[in-house]
Amino acid sequence: MINHFVPKTLKEALDILSEHDCYIFAGGTDLMVQKHKSSGLLPAFDKDILYVMNLKELDYIKVDSQNNLHIGGISRFCELINSPLVPDIFKTVFLEIASPNIRNTATLVGNIANASPAGDSIVPLNLFNASVVLQSKRGTRTVLVQDFIQGVKKIDREKDELITEVIVPPADLKFYYKKVGSRKAETITKVSLMGGYKVEGGKVKDLRICFGSISTKVVKNHWIEEKYTGISTNELRARIDDIINEYDHEIRPITDQRSTKEYRTVVAKNLLRDFLRQVK
Amino acid sequence: MKISFTINNNKVTLDVDPSMRLLDVIRNELHLTGTKEGCGEGECGACTVLVKGEPVNSCLTPIINVADRDVMTIEGLRETKEYRIIADAFADRGGSQCGFCTPGMILVTYALLKKNPHPSEEEIRFALSGNLCRCTGYQAIIDAVKVASEKGIKL
Repeated sequence: MINHFVPKTLKEALDILSEHDCYIFAGGTDLMVQKHKSSGLLPAFDKDILYVMNLKELDYIKVDSQNNLHIGGISRFCELINSPLVPDIFKTVFLEIASPNIRNTATLVGNIANASPAGDSIVPLNLFNASVVLQSKRGTRTVLVQDFIQGVKKIDREKDELITEVIVPPADLKFYYKKVGSRKAETITKVSLMGGYKVEGGKVKDLRICFGSISTKVVKNHWIEEKYTGISTNELRARIDDIINEYDHEIRPITDQRSTKEYRTVVAKNLLRDFLRQVK
Repeated sequence: MKISFTINNNKVTLDVDPSMRLLDVIRNELHLTGTKEGCGEGECGACTVLVKGEPVNSCLTPIINVADRDVMTIEGLRETKEYRIIADAFADRGGSQCGFCTPGMILVTYALLKKNPHPSEEEIRFALSGNLCRCTGYQAIIDAVKVASEKGIKL
């Protein structure tokens, strides 16, 4: 028998987590698929479950005095899409995740914690250098999303910790985003690319590049980005092939039921070329 | 666990496992079989119900997540005059053939027209993008939503 915990307050939730190893259940759109057995049967959970959707304390979207966006742990995609506080580029990404029905249930934090290499929301979070806030009875810590996700389904979370918030710093950039999938809606990404840049006086002041679905986690290489920051846009365009080659060792997709590694590699590089041509 | 919620404007309290799918509660506990199970993994939308007026997939929703909330199924919508307008439009335009996707399609149409009484074709397609139909090729459904939108200004 497993225990079902339905705390009403964050304190109650953290008390439970300090004593029980639980699945943390938010919208459930991933867990209910992963644990589903058959019509009419209960989902096959093998350990206790802590349901968080009643934690009203985690239901908020707000901006602080430094313009950091704070997204509460149970914020659903539909709420983020409708919020005037959320940057448009995030909305562009969210509107291509799953379907309207699923976005009415699924949470951003759930998408992060699921740590799928094809998790679309993780791409802009990496680009913006967003962090997650983890709370436990022992205290609070903040971890960059890029570090929090360690690999396929692997996250930097202790059993007594709950992700209570996502913090997105502001970014004054122009953006590029393309998701390649089989359909317009309800499609799991084959490969995606988000670029962000800032040009001042003909020079590249900020350059950020994130690939989704081409490795065990989102690829964002700070070293390559830095190397090509500060040069003129003309030089950047002249060196597009060099930049693409820099990512040779980073683009390591797999072949699965959705696509092949060859296709993904070619498309990832083409997307990068398409983005870099737009940096003016 | 005792869980209370509202189904089609009636308050119910059930003693069920909190992880039980809302879909199974609706069909097997409440015997409301208008809600269909297609894929069982959130792809097809046949199990769509409205929770607080928003379409969700009942196959992915554990019953605990609708505790103290309003749930509406096609049986509840059938009691409204909006249903008549939408159902007539689907019949008129051939928007329903085998009928398996129809309860979900109609619930999403209702939710869309409540929010946006005169949607563009793009908005209609977008709203219905989580509901699959293997019979109609979709155009008849899109046309039906347009007809419902024209007739149902009062929606």
